[in-house]
Amino acid sequence: MDKQMELLQGTLDMLILKAVSLGPLHGYGILLRIQQISKDRLEIQQGSLYPALYRLEHQGWIASEWGESENKRKAKYYRLTAAGRRKLQTEAEKWNRMADLIEGILGTTAEEV
Amino acid sequence: MTMWSRLRSWLRVLLQRSRVEKEMDAELRFHIEAFAEDLVRSGVPRKEALRRARIEFGGIERAKEECREARGISFVDGLLQDLRFGLRMLHKSPGFTATAVLALALGIGANTTVFTVFDAVALRPRAVKDPDRLVGVYRTAEGKDRRAFSYPDYIYYRDHTTTLSDVAMWSGGTNVTTPDLSVANKENVPRVAGALGFQLPQFLKVGVQRLTCVFVSGNYFQLLGARPAAGRLFLPEDDQSGAPPVVVLSGNFWQSQLHSNPGVVGSVIHLDRVAFTIVGVTPVDYLGTLSRVPVLWAPIAARPPLGDATRESLENRNVPAGIVYGHLKAGIALPDAQEELKVLAEQLRAGYPDERNNGVRVISERTFGSIDSEAWPVVAATMGAVTLLLLIACANVASLLLARAATRRREIGVRLSLGAGRRRLLQQLLIESTLIALLAGAVGLPFAWWTLHLLVVEIASAVPSYWGAIALQVTPDIRIFGYTLLISLLTGVAFGLTPALQALRVDVNSALKDSGSMLGQRLSKSRLRDLLIVVQVAACLVLLINSTLLLRGSQRALRIDTGFDSKQVVHLKMLPMVGDSQARLSDLNRQLIEEIGSLPGVTAVTQASRAPISGGNRFAPVWPATEEPPVNDAGEDKRPAAGYSYVLPNYFETLGIAIARGRSFTVQEAETEAPVVIISEATARRFWPGQDPIGKRLVIGSVKGPAPNPGETAPFSPSSEVIGVVRDVRSLFLNRVDQLYLYLPLSQARQWASTLLVRTSERASSLLLTLGGVVRRVDPNLPVVLAPLDWMVSSDPYFVISRIGGILSSIVGTLGLFLACLGVYGMVGYSVVERTHEIGIRTALGAQRQQVLRLVLRESAQPMLFGTVIGIAVSAATARLISAILFGLNPMDAISFAGVSLLLIAVALFAGWLPARRAMRVDPMVALRYE
Repeated sequence: MDKQMELLQGTLDMLILKAVSLGPLHGYGILLRIQQISKDRLEIQQGSLYPALYRLEHQGWIASEWGESENKRKAKYYRLTAAGRRKLQTEAEKWNRMADLIEGILGTTAEEV
Repeated sequence: MTMWSRLRSWLRVLLQRSRVEKEMDAELRFHIEAFAEDLVRSGVPRKEALRRARIEFGGIERAKEECREARGISFVDGLLQDLRFGLRMLHKSPGFTATAVLALALGIGANTTVFTVFDAVALRPRAVKDPDRLVGVYRTAEGKDRRAFSYPDYIYYRDHTTTLSDVAMWSGGTNVTTPDLSVANKENVPRVAGALGFQLPQFLKVGVQRLTCVFVSGNYFQLLGARPAAGRLFLPEDDQSGAPPVVVLSGNFWQSQLHSNPGVVGSVIHLDRVAFTIVGVTPVDYLGTLSRVPVLWAPIAARPPLGDATRESLENRNVPAGIVYGHLKAGIALPDAQEELKVLAEQLRAGYPDERNNGVRVISERTFGSIDSEAWPVVAATMGAVTLLLLIACANVASLLLARAATRRREIGVRLSLGAGRRRLLQQLLIESTLIALLAGAVGLPFAWWTLHLLVVEIASAVPSYWGAIALQVTPDIRIFGYTLLISLLTGVAFGLTPALQALRVDVNSALKDSGSMLGQRLSKSRLRDLLIVVQVAACLVLLINSTLLLRGSQRALRIDTGFDSKQVVHLKMLPMVGDSQARLSDLNRQLIEEIGSLPGVTAVTQASRAPISGGNRFAPVWPATEEPPVNDAGEDKRPAAGYSYVLPNYFETLGIAIARGRSFTVQEAETEAPVVIISEATARRFWPGQDPIGKRLVIGSVKGPAPNPGETAPFSPSSEVIGVVRDVRSLFLNRVDQLYLYLPLSQARQWASTLLVRTSERASSLLLTLGGVVRRVDPNLPVVLAPLDWMVSSDPYFVISRIGGILSSIVGTLGLFLACLGVYGMVGYSVVERTHEIGIRTALGAQRQQVLRLVLRESAQPMLFGTVIGIAVSAATARLISAILFGLNPMDAISFAGVSLLLIAVALFAGWLPARRAMRVDPMVALRYE
């Protein structure tokens, strides 16, 4: 297994939006989903997850609702709003452009300059 | 969208605070337990699993706090906390709070007042149809550009203009008398009269009412788009000569005096004995183009029957009749109308070359007063003055806050060192000052309301009506409240920021050690604050000196030697109605003189066409008959104008005016209007210096002299013999002896504006009731003005100007003094706190208390003295400007200048002494131990 990587600054929001875009989840579920998708290669501070959720909800990108968890317990479920879906799309595009750019820069060889 | 969701989430936080907290708890608990369960499933013992879950999660409380912050909870929380803290702090120092709130309230109130008046005069459109297109058309002549047109000129413009859609005229107003409205004859005696220290003469309460009546053309109401509250308003056919006489009542009178009775429409009212039909009622407060609501509106055609004009004068192109109003047609700009009317004016001039120069000027009448270029400096100065007042108030409160911040330096230092955020501290200091501002706004609004009422309603109604006092509608509205609120908030931020930022520059270490200023270190003394003190002291000194001059001047006016004895004389003026013949008036007067003369306590009764110092001044040109009268290049009469009155032979004796040479009239001379005249000493000196004037002859008036009033005739005598010379008196104006004055014999044919003067051996005021009874017995419907002659002094315009001016400027000056003292107080207080350490060392080294006091006071004394010098210099200049209304008081009056200056310095020093006492009490041991 690869060594765990720390999350890049500012990317947690995007990952949360992506995670809930696949279906409503509670906080712990979001954590598990991100770890599962990243095959446990990302390290997320659990304590920082909730402030991020509250911030996203405050901005209207996700909405919350109390529901029942897999083991019949009350849990707060988050789902993506329409505004959140648009936000995720633009953030993803931005991220891809940035990644391409960085890759291009790092891939430059001496001859190309 | 996101804005809305954010707002909703804030609201939820505010309203359902505990539920949000509970949910947050539950959510985090669920997370940890779910995590722990997963660990248990992978074989970790339950207790250990929970422990590991908590460790993995990290600080739960920190996460919660971050969650709160993310949702804006902590912001709201902090705000509420700061608000509570701010209120507690204000409550803890009530003296500081009260002074700061009061100072700001004064500034805010003064600004609201001036803004409201400005708004009512220049900004608020008139309540008429299409105010944007309403224009006033004025005649321009001899450099004055707001004159009235004659009636035929108005007709010419009305019939020929193509740029104005309709043209109407307002033709002045008059007072009419009616016996028909048996309503409560409420005397409108303004309360302010008591405060001003003089009495206003009152109408005797008899069965008749005097009502104000204005004259407008028949299309006036149509032009302005007015709707009647009952009946109908005028139509053009009401304004034809020969049309049945009609009037419209004002809604205010209808409501307050006639209980809105719709039955009055169609009924007949007698005005000066002419029967008018009431055709309708205007809405309440309907002003049209006027500045005060009249009781009655009548067509211009009613002027001749009411004696306000004659048919001939209305047809005369040389007699001004009124102001013309019109509506610009669609698509026509004001300059187009101006151009067109100029052409019409030229046509008029060509058609009637004898007529006076008739220029024309078109002015927008959208608002009550378009502010002319000449008026702007005054408006700007007033607005500037109140803005300055607010600035001074802000600066003072800022220096108070600064002084307070200095004492709180330690507290702030402690909070900073414990990790309080600078932003949060700034927020808290700002909230405190905003609270002060809001409180000040709450106090300032009623204050402004009260001032407006005082200024516009009370004082305007105290001013004699012939001044054309302005009574604007200045009811405070929601916009003005908004304005006050905005000012108070801006003020709060503006004056809160300076001390807050200063406080935050605190160096934590030195603040904790409390060694803010080292010995000998020059304080970062604010030059701005010094300058403000200079300006404040100077400004309020100017106001106070001038108000003292005016008050002392008007006080002098009350005791001034007028040359006649007014102490025990009662003034009884008859207000005749049109249609009263000279014979009837003569009868009435004779009957009254007889009845009054037989009353106990009455020593003499005389009659004159006017009483001294009671208004009604009349002038006629006069020149020695033996000399060539002066004329100018154009051949116009340039003889000097002499005041005159027609008097009975016993006039001089009754008023105690000594006859210096010659004699008074005989009864026969009076009855036959013999060509004889009695002159004042000044008149004799003017025409025959060093000679005996008895037997000399004067030319008085001219053949076609204009009548001063309808119904009167001007005096004319080609050669009147001087039979007597009497002592000089002040009968025209209180502030100077009459320059030229003639006494003419009063005959039965000159009874129009008759005044009886009754001399009594008792107090004049005790005779009023008895005299009223006599008048009612002789004619119960006779309107009269009855007052001790002393009271008539209030109708002298210079006296009223100087009284009102003095009182107003002393109010503003006292406010200014109060603010200046606050400034000094704040500044000295600040410097004492700053220098506690230094003072401690000085005291320890043996400085005396007096030396310490001097040290502290010196800093504020400098700008104060400087301000005093400037204030005295400016006052010396302004005192010259008002010297005309000081009634002989020396404009450089020592009491006003020296007394007020010393008083101001004393008060300001006292304001500085209060905080300076603290410096004297500094215990060197305590001050030094902080080190």
